[in-house]
Amino acid sequence: MSRSDCRSSCFTAALALACLAGAAQAQQAPLLRARLNADIRSTDPGVNRDANTDGLMAHIVEGLVALKEDTSVGPLVAQRIDVSKDGKTYRFTLRDGLRFHNGAALAAEDVVWTWKRYLNPATNWRCLTEFDGRGITKILSVEAPDAKTVVFTLDKPSALFLTTMARSDCGGSGILHRSSVAADGKWLTPIGSGPFKLGEWKRGQYVELLRFDGYVSRSEPGDGYTGAKKAEVEKVRFLIIPDGAAAKAALISGQLDLVNDLDVADLGEVAGAPQLTVAKAETMSVSAILFQTRDPVLKDVRIRRAIALALDQPTLVRSVTNALSRRNNSAVPGTSPYYNAAQAQGYTYNLAEAKKLLAEAGYAGQPIKLIANKRYAPMFDVSVLTQAMLQQAGIKMEIEVLDWATQLDRYTKGQYQAMSFSYSARLDPSLNYEMFTGPKDTQPRKVWDSPDAQAQLVASMDISDKAKRQAIFDGLHKRMLDEVPLIVLYNGLEITGHSKRLHGYRNWALQQPRLWNVRLAAR
Amino acid sequence: MLGYILRRLAMTLPTLLLVALAVFALMRAIPGDPVQLMLGDAADEAQVTALRQRMGLDAPLPLQFARWLGAAAQGDLGQSITNGEPVLPLMAERFQVSAVIVLLAVAAAALVAVPLGLLAAWKQDKTLDVAIVAGATLLLSVPSFWLGLLMLLVFGMKLGWLPVVGYVAFSEDWHQALSYIVLPAVTLTLIEIGVLTRMSRASAIEVLRLEYVTHARAKGASEARVLLRHVLPNAFAPTLTLIGLVLGHLLGGIAVLETVFTLPGLGRLLVDAIFARDYPVVQGCLLFTAVIYVLINLLVDLCYPLFDPRVSAS
Repeated sequence: MSRSDCRSSCFTAALALACLAGAAQAQQAPLLRARLNADIRSTDPGVNRDANTDGLMAHIVEGLVALKEDTSVGPLVAQRIDVSKDGKTYRFTLRDGLRFHNGAALAAEDVVWTWKRYLNPATNWRCLTEFDGRGITKILSVEAPDAKTVVFTLDKPSALFLTTMARSDCGGSGILHRSSVAADGKWLTPIGSGPFKLGEWKRGQYVELLRFDGYVSRSEPGDGYTGAKKAEVEKVRFLIIPDGAAAKAALISGQLDLVNDLDVADLGEVAGAPQLTVAKAETMSVSAILFQTRDPVLKDVRIRRAIALALDQPTLVRSVTNALSRRNNSAVPGTSPYYNAAQAQGYTYNLAEAKKLLAEAGYAGQPIKLIANKRYAPMFDVSVLTQAMLQQAGIKMEIEVLDWATQLDRYTKGQYQAMSFSYSARLDPSLNYEMFTGPKDTQPRKVWDSPDAQAQLVASMDISDKAKRQAIFDGLHKRMLDEVPLIVLYNGLEITGHSKRLHGYRNWALQQPRLWNVRLAAR
Repeated sequence: MLGYILRRLAMTLPTLLLVALAVFALMRAIPGDPVQLMLGDAADEAQVTALRQRMGLDAPLPLQFARWLGAAAQGDLGQSITNGEPVLPLMAERFQVSAVIVLLAVAAAALVAVPLGLLAAWKQDKTLDVAIVAGATLLLSVPSFWLGLLMLLVFGMKLGWLPVVGYVAFSEDWHQALSYIVLPAVTLTLIEIGVLTRMSRASAIEVLRLEYVTHARAKGASEARVLLRHVLPNAFAPTLTLIGLVLGHLLGGIAVLETVFTLPGLGRLLVDAIFARDYPVVQGCLLFTAVIYVLINLLVDLCYPLFDPRVSAS
């Protein structure tokens, strides 16, 4: 081989290698850009938070347990969970080899430290009241008998103990390294053990997450917030874009790869863009019309029942959700493992019966004010359609549009006749019923003031047996349909538009993005 | 001159106190609870009470006002209820974003509108005047959000020349920063051209009718000299007042444009704070806006003698 041949071969080989390396790199885009409709509140999980904060923090911190796809609970940082026969002692065995983002090993002592911080009132953990005796139970002690075991002792058993631990608004009770806070207890930065670590938070602009290469994944297939997780993309940037039209424009023009809260109205346009694809999923939020059962007009159950019967609910839900959701009169979301044939029972449109009930109740066309807002378009749409449908039965409903803060204030104080409202997702039917069942004298926001229903609800929180709980929920549902303190209409929707280059993204009932196990092909 | 400035600044103190009181009272008068908004519909009464206590929102209103005012007098506008950030640095950071766009847009608008108004006045009731007035009226009538969205659609989505969302500070990368602020700045410029052209034209028409203009023409001065030497300086003074008002108004935040173009400016901060009932941020932003108004107007008044010799600072 001549010298020039040799040089030429070397050059060709080097070029080929460079091309291969380049091709390998080109297969994956290094940055995934997703939308946040508002800035996060803080990086302190479960403390100063909102839904955006919860969703983002779930990428950074992990708790002992986490929610599965069907919203049941499975282990995450824990390898095994042993519960004593009396239901008062929970023994968590930790997984091997777990590390924090700063490289430190995650041990039982870290779990104890984290939980002591959460249970310290000075932390202002959102879920403190659930675990300090005011809520589901009281944690008497959290101890680490050895480096891999954590033992929780409770004062009474609770069917909701693990579910509450896993709740997003509790920050998933994420385990933190103690250097996340300063010596004086002031919050610094989240040092967790999740598949991503916090990169940069530019307030009002974006939050950037970086892949944590030292993440130790579970071996089971990915399942909700648990199972195998692999951060495929190097960086995730959550861009804060409050305006829906701007977010849609950014998605269509390729400046965003993912928008997970598209409006129903934007669905057609996004679906029509050749480079984009749309995914839909039913969530666990509950849309309903609430009644003030102490109102002079609406205290009569016959009038409330007449309203329920005068609404063509399947049509109403089809119109509001663009036929993407189905009517569900149950407080138990359609995606819950507790949703069965009994829960599927609901009101049947019957105008004649509605008119008969109104006549019996002596309804003489007194106006009923229905409060709604335009911040959440579906709540307004429900109110408009309700007004129109009730007109046919002779019910005079007037819509009062308020801003969201004012509506929430009225809701909390119980100062309304009727209200188009949407409850955020709860993960267990007990919590679903708890959101509207209770004594109005002490909790004016509660809609259903029935001592019997409250007793049933308390029982459902103490019992762990699924069949017995199902029987309670089925009974509550039948009773709720009879007493009509509210009309549950449907469960919310998560509509996601994303680039076709994005692979592996899945919507789910919790309505939060999960950007692990997701690949973004290069352009 | 210094005495005048100090007198003017001292006169603003009662105004600012009234603004502070009015904003505080109005924010507390409208329904809505920041704690309830933060905790959401799932919060129980114990959580709400605890958080309200922690934030000092359970204290009587006069006490809350006195505390806030006392701290504000020392330069501490409190902390955001929503995210715990100190309000003053938060506002300063957001103000930079709004200020860059507003100053660029108003400067560009003034550079275009003043000559355009002068030209329209000079050709009053001719085709050129009608065209300029029609154009200015159109720009004046177009809602800023609509024009902004149109810009996004054409230059961002259809042509793909400029980014649709996001913001980069000039201190980070001036080249990229420029690409992000072109669309909002141009949108704002177009809107303000409408306002300023009308004002400039009206002032110039008034000046063109004055005797000294006729005298200058009679002396044989060229039309260009008449317009630039005699009409422009005298017609500019009212426009300058308007520019001051426009600047004061816009520097207080261009909420609509900031929302459409996803800019982290002062206006968006204020609007978000109102929706979240974030009292310290709303109070801080509005007080800051009042201060801006006062300072800009003072500056305009001080510049007045430069353009109109009949007015003196004394």
